[in-house]
Amino acid sequence: MKRKFMAAVALAAGVSLAITGCATGGDSETDAPVTGGTLTLGALVDAASWDPADAEFGNRIQYVQPVYDSLLHIDDELVIGPWLASEFAYNDDSTELSLTLRDDVVFSDGEEFNAEVAKANLEHFKNGTGQNSITLASVDSIDVTGDYSLTLGLAAPDPALLRNLSLVAGMQASPAVLGQESLKTTPVGSGPYVLDADASVTGSQYTYTRNADYWNTEAFPFDEIVIKPLNDLTARLNALKSGEIDAGLADAKSMAEAEASGLTAQTIEGDWQGLFIVDRDGSKVPALADPRVRQAINYAVDGAGILKAVRLGEGTATTQIFSPTSIAADPALDSRYSFDPDKARALLAEAGYADGFEIEMPEFAGFTDITTIAFQQLGDVGITVKPVVVAPDQIISALLSGQFPAFVFSWGSSDSWQDISKIVGPTAPWNMYGNSTPELDALIASAQSEGTQDAFQAVNEYIVDQAWFAPWYVQNNVYVSGDAVEVAMQPQNVVPYIWNYTPAN
Amino acid sequence: MIRFFLNRLISGVVLVFVVATLTFMLMSLSGGNPARNILGEGATEEQVAAKAAELGLNLPIFERYWNWLTSALTGDFGSSWFTNEPVMSSLANKFPVTLSIVIVAILVTALIATVLGVTAAVRRGWIDRFVQVFAVIGFALPNFWVALVLVTIFAVTLRLLPATGFTPFDTDPSKWALGLVLPVAALVTGTIASTAQQVRGATIDILERDFVRTLRSRGISKQSLLFKHVLRNAASPALTVLSLQFVGLLGGAVIIEKVFALPGIGSLAVNATTQGDLPQILGLVVVMVVLVVIVNLLIDLATGWLNPKARVA
Repeated sequence: MKRKFMAAVALAAGVSLAITGCATGGDSETDAPVTGGTLTLGALVDAASWDPADAEFGNRIQYVQPVYDSLLHIDDELVIGPWLASEFAYNDDSTELSLTLRDDVVFSDGEEFNAEVAKANLEHFKNGTGQNSITLASVDSIDVTGDYSLTLGLAAPDPALLRNLSLVAGMQASPAVLGQESLKTTPVGSGPYVLDADASVTGSQYTYTRNADYWNTEAFPFDEIVIKPLNDLTARLNALKSGEIDAGLADAKSMAEAEASGLTAQTIEGDWQGLFIVDRDGSKVPALADPRVRQAINYAVDGAGILKAVRLGEGTATTQIFSPTSIAADPALDSRYSFDPDKARALLAEAGYADGFEIEMPEFAGFTDITTIAFQQLGDVGITVKPVVVAPDQIISALLSGQFPAFVFSWGSSDSWQDISKIVGPTAPWNMYGNSTPELDALIASAQSEGTQDAFQAVNEYIVDQAWFAPWYVQNNVYVSGDAVEVAMQPQNVVPYIWNYTPAN
Repeated sequence: MIRFFLNRLISGVVLVFVVATLTFMLMSLSGGNPARNILGEGATEEQVAAKAAELGLNLPIFERYWNWLTSALTGDFGSSWFTNEPVMSSLANKFPVTLSIVIVAILVTALIATVLGVTAAVRRGWIDRFVQVFAVIGFALPNFWVALVLVTIFAVTLRLLPATGFTPFDTDPSKWALGLVLPVAALVTGTIASTAQQVRGATIDILERDFVRTLRSRGISKQSLLFKHVLRNAASPALTVLSLQFVGLLGGAVIIEKVFALPGIGSLAVNATTQGDLPQILGLVVVMVVLVVIVNLLIDLATGWLNPKARVA
């Protein structure tokens, strides 16, 4: 489902207030849902810091969602609704966001939630050194306009802001501990659960029990949540099969085994994998400045073949970088460059590189199965790849330093504006060479100010035409669960959010 | 004896210092960028620089080393760069897990290997051949494979034992013991095999010595001969093997910890190394070396107690 946007989202606010059941009086249902019991999840990584300023998307978001409420809420269809902020609205040119906060929220240490506290939390997040502090970069000013209302002033429209306020950037910690060192190891929030330190062992098990004073208990059916870090896939599968956990992340190769054991395997589009061609001005490898050469790279690698052989067909072949569930996605761009080595050679010859050229690319753990094939296929059309081995702890810094003109990578696309800010825009950290063209700048500017599907798709089309990347496929995330729980998959996140789980009837 | 003990102690301290220094230098010079790894791919250069300054990475390497060393000498090993947990507290959480497995595995190994080795040496015949064949098989089977087979049978199919996880002893001793059965069983197949062979060889060697024949000719009882004289003499090589096994198991437990999702030092070491979490790695290395030094010292003392000829520094 395409993502509703901006004004549409604000309109949806009132509707989802009812849907999410956050109006406190509404418990007159006829068929009451099953509640109680324990939800036990296996997590791919261990918890890290408990300071909301350090909170992460992806796997680690499950550790913090039980203890911290966010200002807004996002559901499994990417509809954004009210949460701690009961109302939210943009001004006409989307440079001011007004929030009205609930007045009945108390933190688990007894501190009260109000506009001053929300402001302090937003500033704490924005000014912190967490990896997502960038998601509030557009917020210029935070004005408290009443006990329970505030206005965020933006330097420029930020189409990803509402989503971010419904995830880590909007998380609220108690003012008593905000900015204190203890918050990194002991969470104090207003969320539906509290971390039970006595029943938790770092690295082994995190137990959450109900927050007795929570304002929206009905939205969370389980009495207890336990998250166990189970880094190894075999261990996770064994724990699922033996009933020790209710759900956990798996992969394409283990789907058949999981289903044969009576478990339920669900899939949802996850990361795209392929090539980042970042030296688009040709400062390191002059050939890459010619769009025909970059298009040749797109034609040279059999993405659909890699998907079938290495990922067992669990995914969708594509040539675009945006998430299929995002506003910029355009199905027409999935097959712009189908595997055609002859066409690749012809384009290279047209660009003056009939004899090919040489390029250095990194090789690192976790990607060797696909890089080996890609390097060979690039070699077949005359592009000689010189692999440079990079140690696991140096991958990101090596890539971001701009050492490599192109590289194979896996990217978890989510919100289109967020992806533009991270990997496309002229100042995006993953646009290492700072490439830009006047046409693209204009397209990005109109996407930012208009926020419409057409404007975003225009950016997408330009990037695909100019072959800024060479995506091969979007691979499926595989999530396995036992028969005690029902799980709604979450688009744009590798694991479901904590409110996507319900006890099976 | 005291001089022997002091000598070993001093060389142990020097060893800890040398290994810690080498680790610090190798990790610091390897060129990674921990600040970038902590902040992830989305952070700007300014954020990375701020984080690097927060971690003290902008100081010269010797100054950083000196800062670490002076704090470490006071017992403060700092906090993990990635989880913010104090290094000593995370080690205090993880070491009991690994030590539980390793110590129980060593005790089980010592017991079963001694029984098998001595029986094979004394009885010879089919028991001896059985022990020999068992030793070859036990040695050849990779312990992660044994672990997977055991999990599939006893945890997934029969659901008799837990497939993953660890319960601390003080929380529930019976759960602690149940949780250890499969990991320890997987670990000891190889160690029993090699130790039983050593015990068998050493026992046969002693049984053939002149003093044993003399004792036998004087009519000493079989039990007394075996337990008082033969075993005491055969124990030294077995103890040496066990001490090596202990050190090997500390490292070898990594894979077993992975299969059973045990929160021991194995996963900690792997994560800290791949992330470049220097304070965590240094704390781990120091404690590991101290452990190895202590175990070697104890084994040396035990060997000296068993065999006076070995009491030379």
